[in-house]
Amino acid sequence: MNPLNRTRAILSKTAWSVFTILFVIILNFFLFRVLPGDPARAGIRDPRLKKEAVEMLQARFGLDKPVINCFESLNPVRVGNCGINPLDTQFFIYVGNLLKGELGISYHTNRPVGEILSERLWNTILLIGAGQILSILIGVVLGVFAAWKARTAVDYGAIAVSLFAWSLPTFWLGIILLFWGSANGFPLAGKATPGMSSMPLFQQWGDILWHMFLPTLTYTIVYMGEYTLIMRSSLMDVLSEDYILTAKAKGLSMFQILKDHALKNAMLPLVTVIAINLGFTVAGAIQIEAVFSWPGLGSAIYESVVRRDYPILQGAFLLIAVAVITANLLADLTYTWLDPRVQVE
Amino acid sequence: MKMKALYVLVLVVLILSACGGGAAGGTTGNENAGEEGEASPGAPEDRTTVRIGWAGSPDTLNPGMAILVEAYTIFELVYDSMYELNLDGSFTLSLAESVSTSDDGLVWTYKIRDGLKWHDGQPLTAEDIAWTYNLYKDTPEYPYLNGYYTPYFDTIVATENNEVVLTLTEPIPNIESQLVFLYILPKHIWENVDKLEYENFEMIGSGPFKMAEYVQSEFVRLTANKDHFATPPKVDGVVFQTFENQDALVQAIKTGQVDMITEMPNTAAESLDAEENIELVVGAPLAPGVTDIIFNQVDPENCPTEGGICSGHPALRDRNVRLAMAHATDKQKLIDVILLGLGSPGLTLIPDGLGVWYNSSLQDYEFDAAKANQILDDAGYADTDGDGVREMPDGSRPLTFRLNWPSDSINAPRMAELLSEMWAEIGVTLEPQAVDPDALTAQCCPAFDFDIMIWGWASDPDPSALLYVYTTEAIPTGSSETGYSNPAYDELYAQQQVELDFEARKGIVWEMQKIVHDDVVYIIPFYDANVQAYRSDRFTGWITDQAKVELSDVTSLVRIEPVK
Repeated sequence: MNPLNRTRAILSKTAWSVFTILFVIILNFFLFRVLPGDPARAGIRDPRLKKEAVEMLQARFGLDKPVINCFESLNPVRVGNCGINPLDTQFFIYVGNLLKGELGISYHTNRPVGEILSERLWNTILLIGAGQILSILIGVVLGVFAAWKARTAVDYGAIAVSLFAWSLPTFWLGIILLFWGSANGFPLAGKATPGMSSMPLFQQWGDILWHMFLPTLTYTIVYMGEYTLIMRSSLMDVLSEDYILTAKAKGLSMFQILKDHALKNAMLPLVTVIAINLGFTVAGAIQIEAVFSWPGLGSAIYESVVRRDYPILQGAFLLIAVAVITANLLADLTYTWLDPRVQVE
Repeated sequence: MKMKALYVLVLVVLILSACGGGAAGGTTGNENAGEEGEASPGAPEDRTTVRIGWAGSPDTLNPGMAILVEAYTIFELVYDSMYELNLDGSFTLSLAESVSTSDDGLVWTYKIRDGLKWHDGQPLTAEDIAWTYNLYKDTPEYPYLNGYYTPYFDTIVATENNEVVLTLTEPIPNIESQLVFLYILPKHIWENVDKLEYENFEMIGSGPFKMAEYVQSEFVRLTANKDHFATPPKVDGVVFQTFENQDALVQAIKTGQVDMITEMPNTAAESLDAEENIELVVGAPLAPGVTDIIFNQVDPENCPTEGGICSGHPALRDRNVRLAMAHATDKQKLIDVILLGLGSPGLTLIPDGLGVWYNSSLQDYEFDAAKANQILDDAGYADTDGDGVREMPDGSRPLTFRLNWPSDSINAPRMAELLSEMWAEIGVTLEPQAVDPDALTAQCCPAFDFDIMIWGWASDPDPSALLYVYTTEAIPTGSSETGYSNPAYDELYAQQQVELDFEARKGIVWEMQKIVHDDVVYIIPFYDANVQAYRSDRFTGWITDQAKVELSDVTSLVRIEPVK
């Protein structure tokens, strides 16, 4: 392929991704503004709360300003005023703050949203990252093995295990493992034992791994099944191709055929699934985090939905959207590297 | 292959268990650290730190901005205030050794104890207290502490004799409950920070426990302040661990990962009670919870001019209809089915957990569907078209009421179902519908755009706040949920606000409860009980025999000690 075309194609794909993110920012903003009710009062329903206090809170969270200048049909909460400065509206203040990297203040915790999300993001990446790596490794190995020994007892066994694992409801498996684990000394909640922070670093890491074990195991079991099945069917397709027959005729061993001819081609569908899953990694496995009280992004979203902490939800949704779009872009680009026949258009 | 797949899994399990082994080694390391004199509370093998499991987490450690009860639990432990609230509902002086009042009840002079110290070693004096009270008074952005507790503050000054002189704008009978939640902050730290943004992670206080480590949504770790002037704890520390999942919380006390849990699903109570070494405790909560069935009875004349819609069913303005519905409500069944028996039947918004303020002489309307039907028959609500639903006396509309509740309520759907069955017996039908809590607030007050709602309150130690909900004055402010208006009641409300004699005020408060009970303003199905559990093989001395039950309250935590 012409390298110039290729560069242009990559640029245009990137541009589309940026455009999509901009669209998400706008949608995300208005989504939370059309919801009913007054967020400043949401957490506080009490007879003695003074009207002034509510107004002060609204001012603190910027809710005293019109949502947008003059755009009345989009603005059911507070009718806009065409006379006011468009830059003094919630929308432009939000966009302006975004450009400065600020995501606002959480209604509930009174802390900057960016600070909370970044704490939670790393916990999620740690947990889901480990789960992804393990499930990909196990899934690929199991899938290759099943395809290689297709239609034998080994294959049927692998399919049965994978189907069973994949169809397990995540929260149910989580609860079962939680009960099993707690009877065997595994911790039931959190990321670390309180008080470990004064311990040597390697002990702290050991403590975190110990806490990670059950949630990671849950994640691995569920996703392993998916990866095994995709890997197996994709590899079976490739193995039925003529060039594999040719390779066999040349007298290559099965290992060489897999390594040099089949695997790279069979990876394509898996890459798609992995990319999509990786994007959603940022959302965390909400169910897993809630079951194991893992302080990740997923449980932050869960808590914020319960408490109507819109700035956190808004920030988290944006983060997820950016992650999914970026992961898809990367998957597109990886395709062309794995299979030059795939044109970047 | 199945075997091999299992083998791979087992391998992963082994690898990760090895890591777990490393952590177990870590706890041994902890004990060594302890020998070196470096306390290490919270580690699994530590027997002198009490580990508490709860389902929440403080929203913020800035007392001015906090809303959640979990935050107040931590404040109670780390800060002191002028009074302590006891579990029997009484108050005792805390930071002050004595108090005197001027004859007109306006000037309160508190003599502060000498030699008080902050956790960082700085002296705590009247200066800090006066400064803190002025901070709460002058910061209207503090939603609770400013709005609730400082409206009657005029001036607060510290004298050279380590006294705080508090002057009020008018005499009030409940100064203790006004001051008890105003936690005293160290001036030397707070005067240099932004009062709204300050996250207060270091949380320098003067209370029986010191802040050691706080990870939001994970845990709060406190260590004992053995030098506390009044109540030095016997344990070395407290850890509050957050469980997002209530099943995990119950499992944690069963397996001994925590020593006490502050809440549980009522369904778990029986199985926990049966466990060896676990004691179940049931009683009125520290902040008693009231579940209420709200009748929209706002008079069109009182419909708020600002935002009032007042679309309520006219039948609900008739006491006879409300009385009949009260007679047709089987409260014990509601308690048995919804709370599994863990609650007590309610009368008015003033719960039995408020102790002396609760009018225990009131007789509730007995459950009697025949009597209820008789009342409706006598009042002219007949089923003229024979469809099983009564009509208004003028035949204009049937007794079909909208019933709404906040969609995040766990108990309300079941209650709606039971009420539908109970009230169908007297020819009343319901149109049940869960509504998003925000939308329900908008529907509720001051819009009065509903017929019947199921909602609830948490009560202050003083009855004044919930008594206000019944006043005419509260209708346009959005505090009144029913639109109830009774000039005689309003008069009594104003009287109890300024009645300084305790017995006289109690008489008025009781009389007010009688009025609203006679008028059937609400049906209060029950007062929720606090259901907690602790491990009897770990710590002893928990306070369980008082009017209220709260094991995570400072009163218990300074008293308990490890089981030997």
